[in-house]
Formats: sequence, C-alpha cells, structure tokens
Amino acid sequence: MTEVSETDRWMGRLNTVLLILAGVIVITPTVWMILSSFKFSHEVTAYPPKLFFTPTLANYATLSETTPFLHYGFNSIVVTASSTALGMLLGAPAAFVASWTRITWPAIVTLVARMAPGTLFLLPWYVMFRHAGMIGSYWSLILTHAVITMPIVIWVLLPFFDNIPRSVFEAAQVDGCSPFRIFRRIALPLVSSGLAVSAILAFVFSWNYFLFALVLSNSDTKTLIAASFNFIGEGSTNWGGLMAAATLIALPPLILATIVQRWLISGLTLGAVKG
Amino acid sequence: MASISMRNLVKHYGDFAVIPGLNLEIPDHEFVVLVGPSGCGKSTLLRILAGLETVTEGDLFIGEDRVNGVPASKRDIAMVFQDYALYPHMTVRQNMAFALEMRGMGKDEIEQRVNRAAELLDIRQYLDRRPKALSGGQRQRVAMGRAIVRDPKVFLFDEPLSNLDAKLRAQVRAEIKALSQQLRTTMVFVTHDQIEAMTMADRIVVMKSGVIQQVGTPEEVYEQPANRFVAGFIGSPAMNFIPVTVDGAGLRMEDDRILNTAGIFSRELQDADKTRKLELGIRPEHFTVAAGDPDAIKVDIHLVEPLGSDTLVHFKLAGIEAIARVSPDLRPKPGDRMALKPASGKAHLFDAETGEAIH
Ligand SMILES: Nc1ncnc2c1ncn2[C@@H]1O[C@H](COP(=O)(O)OP(=O)(O)OP(=O)(O)O)[C@@H](O)[C@H]1O
Ligand SMILES: [Mg+2]
Repeated sequence: MTEVSETDRWMGRLNTVLLILAGVIVITPTVWMILSSFKFSHEVTAYPPKLFFTPTLANYATLSETTPFLHYGFNSIVVTASSTALGMLLGAPAAFVASWTRITWPAIVTLVARMAPGTLFLLPWYVMFRHAGMIGSYWSLILTHAVITMPIVIWVLLPFFDNIPRSVFEAAQVDGCSPFRIFRRIALPLVSSGLAVSAILAFVFSWNYFLFALVLSNSDTKTLIAASFNFIGEGSTNWGGLMAAATLIALPPLILATIVQRWLISGLTLGAVKG
Repeated sequence: MASISMRNLVKHYGDFAVIPGLNLEIPDHEFVVLVGPSGCGKSTLLRILAGLETVTEGDLFIGEDRVNGVPASKRDIAMVFQDYALYPHMTVRQNMAFALEMRGMGKDEIEQRVNRAAELLDIRQYLDRRPKALSGGQRQRVAMGRAIVRDPKVFLFDEPLSNLDAKLRAQVRAEIKALSQQLRTTMVFVTHDQIEAMTMADRIVVMKSGVIQQVGTPEEVYEQPANRFVAGFIGSPAMNFIPVTVDGAGLRMEDDRILNTAGIFSRELQDADKTRKLELGIRPEHFTVAAGDPDAIKVDIHLVEPLGSDTLVHFKLAGIEAIARVSPDLRPKPGDRMALKPASGKAHLFDAETGEAIH
C-alpha cells in the first residue's frame, strides 16, 4: 500500500514539474511578445532584454494610424468565422457518416490534404480563382480556409461519434428516425463538447493561417495575420509595431479559449457520453 | 399487432452461416421466447426482425407484408436492447416521447401515453431525470416504457434482464409477463436463461448454431424434449445422461448393472432400440428414493447441496456425474448410500449417435 502511494506521490511531483516546464515554454514567448509591444523598437532587440522599462503605447498608436487595423480585423473575422462554419457544416456530417459506416478512408484523404504543405495547393488555386475572377474576394479565402478547418472538425469529432454506443443509434432507428434525424437529434447533441472543441481548434487554425490570405487576398480583404507582414520591411523591421500587432492578433483566440476552457478540457479528455 | 413469418431465412456473415435456413411462424398475440447458448444466433435473428440486420436469403413477413427490404424505422416494431440504449441526453420523459414525436403525434396524446406507461411501470417519479441518474432496474423499466408507449406491431426483447440482480430479475420477469397479458401484442423475447424461457413463454424456440431444435410450449419442451440438446438445455439442474444398451427387458449401464425399465418410460422398448447405442435421460427431480425396492439403484453420495425446498445430492452413476433432487427431510450426508429409482413414465431415451429422442 505505502509503496503504491509513494509511487503516486512521485508521479504527482513529476507531473507538476512537467506542467511548469510546459507552461514556461508556452508562456515565455507570449509574455515577451506582450512586453515588447509596450517597448520602443530599439528596446525590443536590446540585449540583455529589459524586464523593467517605462511602457509606451506608441506602437499601438502607430498601428492604428498607419494601418486600417480594424478593417483587417473585420476581414479576419469574416474569413475565419465563415470557414469555421463551413468546415463544421461539411465536417460534422462527414465525421458522423465515417463513424457510422466505419469507412474512414475519405477522412484519411482529408487529413493527408491537410498535412500537405499549403504551397502545394497555392498555385493551382491561384490560377483557378483568377479564372473565376475571385482573387481578392472573401469567398476565395473562405473556401481555401475550409480546407484547413474541415479536416480538423472531422478528426476531432470522429472519436466522439465512435464513443456513442451503437445501440443508441439502433434504438433511434427502431423508434422511427431517418439517418438525418439520428444525426440531428441523437448524434449531434451527444457530441456537443466535441463540437465546441472542433470549432475552437478550427477557428484558431484558420485565424492563424496566413499563406492563402497572403496570395489570394487584396488590400481590401487582407486578414490580420497577412497584414502583419507589412511590418517586416526589406531592410529594417518595426519590431515594436509587429509585437503590438501580434498581441492584438493573439487576443481573440486567447479570449475564446478562456471562455470555453471548461468545455475544452472535458471535450479533450473524451468524458463525453458514458452513462 | 401482427403475426411473424420466417420462411427459409438465411443469414451469412461473410462465409459464416450464422443462420443456415430457418422456418418459424409466430401467430398474433403470442409471447415467444428464443433460447439457446451464447453465440447461437438469437440476437442476430432478433435484429433481422427489427430490420437492423439484412437477410441473406429467404422471406420475412410481419403481418401480411414482406419486409425484407423495409428499414427499421418503417417496421413499426419496438425493441428493448440488452444495454437499454437509452438516449443519454434526454430525460426519461423525452426518451419515452421520442418515438411518438418522430411519428408526428400530438403533444397531448404523447403526454397522456407517457404518463400511462410511467404509471404502469412505476417510474412516474423519475420522469424528469436523465438515464445516468437511474439504477439498472430503473433504466430497464424506462427501456420498457419507451417500447410500450408506442403500441407497436411487435415487441422485441434482447436479454433485457441480464444486467439485473437475481431478485430484481424475478420481479421484472413477472412484470413483463403481466404486461404481455395486458397488452396482447406479439412478443419475441431472447434469453439464454432457460428459467426465463419457461416462466414467460407461450411457446419456446430452442436454438443451437442457428438451427431450431424444437418449438413448443414450456410443458412440451420440458416433458418431451426433441433431442438430447433440448433435454440438457431446458431444466435446472440439467438432465442426467447415462450411456446404456438394451439387455433383455432392462438397460445395461456401463458398469454392467442392469436397470429394470418396467414403467419408467411412457412406452415399451422396441426391437429397433436393441441394436443401437442409447442414452438414458433422467431429470434430477425424477428420481424417487426407494429404500428396500429390489429394482432401485444404490448410489454413493459425495456432495450435498441443500436448497431449502429441496436438496441436491451428487453421486457417480456408471462413471457419470449425476444429480438427484430429493426431499430435505431425508437429511442426506456425503458418504451416505441411497437407493434411487427413476420415477415412472418420466425417463427419456436418446440415440447416442444422433441425439434424437426415441419416443
Ligand atoms: N457482425 C458480425 N460479423 C461476423 N460475425 C458475427 C457478427 N455478429 C455476430 N456474429 C456471429 O454470429 C454468431 C451469432 O451471434 P449472436 O449475437 O446472434 O449470438 P447470440 O445467440 O445472441 O449470443 P449471446 O447469447 O452471447 O448474445 C456468433 O458466432 C457471432 O460471433
Ligand atoms: Mg445476443
């Protein structure tokens, strides 16, 4: 008995150490980014980095003066929200059908497409959208970002659907449900935490994806993350401005994750539908 | 309410013939129990009836209609699953109302039916709970409730009692039987528990490896088992089987003792019996204690199991482990010698090779 609890205690300590380590790795750059956004550019690159300094809002002021930041933010929200919605709309039924039929190869195809470097699609897409006259339109970005979001939705939801006892679906069939109704009334409500997790992950990945936006948008539809590249100049980079932009860009996903963190945790641990 | 008819029904999983060819007629209003050992295809047959499994060959009729290609959702059948399969995200009330809602029934009518079923099953006080907050027995009732609100053509039950403890099982068993007499809907009940089969069924269907061994009332399968398998499967403890050959007017056991068969069978031994290897079948409850009777067989008891109402005594008979059910007043002890005799008219004979009963 004592031996077991001894082991448990050590595992507990190890866990704490690992969590702290992970925390430090994740948080340090974030803190650095936020602090830097309140420094003047020359201080950002100073070595050793200064922890104590007089904060300035100059970078944020420059940002709002020199760039239509709100406009880009609006673009980002339109593209990200739409592509997340589109990914959910396509991905959730796809995941349900893949789980139901146990035919997963189409899901694997989407995963492969997701893992392939984006540059692979970029040229053909550019040509296609050009011919369609869609370069610079929201739709070109929404559609291409759905390629990011849909596989995430499918692969997050698959195990959630797999986790529902098959007899529950069969009971619904016997109760007179068509497959679509089973999806709507039984399957979807039972994977609600999975829906939350997949929506957030899809949102974050789409929000942060810059390559497609860089090429397929114009100055009117540019997203935040693509716009932030303006700060990386040919010769010199406006570090302060870049950090201020990065801080603002990182804010929405952070806020989102904080709001839904309880769902996120219960969803990620798959405590979903036992009982 | 409807009759069910299975004609030359075949079910394959790949190359494996779970049901190699089955014919069964279930008349309207009948309570049929399918029994058989694990893996014999009971659930498969039930799922075929429900439309959850396709038929490889043959015809399935429910009422007048051939339903081979009809999906489960259109068969108007209610099923109680072994794991209950309640909808975890719905309350008990919603679980029970769901099927009615799917059929587009009006709110008042749904409310009325759910309440009536809840009353009948004594689950009114749980109507607003989720299944997670119910005990096994309560969930089982909700599963039943979900079926009976519907007033379907046929009820199917797949071992719904297997998760309950012994006491609750006996109680729910009686409830289901009472319910069946009240509703008068055709019911097919699957179990591997022969006591459930005996107590509830109008007719029992005994299956083995996807093949029907016998169809009959509980009395018929108990008193006139069609073969050694049915004889061994129905009844508890199981029937004793003793290898014998015909010797004059009696039966010679393998230890060369001769058993006087006068009166123990419901018929006389035939000439044809004399040339084949036989097995004598005697149920534990069909031994009589006959001290002083010259025809009785003397056995040495090596194990005693008092059940309260009866006592089971274990002994070796011609090298075979055998059991007799005797009166507890005899107070038998291990090491005792007991004189036993098959009760008159209650013994069975089986062909040792084919297992067929010889009547
Ligand atoms: N999907 C399947 N694919 C292949 N074989 C299957 C499948 N489902 C069932 N079987 C096989 O069919 C046979 C009958 O199964 P079934 O579930 O009908 O048995 P059962 O009589 O209900 O047994 P139990 O009392 O254990 O529930 C078993 O041998 C099983 O292994
Ligand atoms: Mg079964």
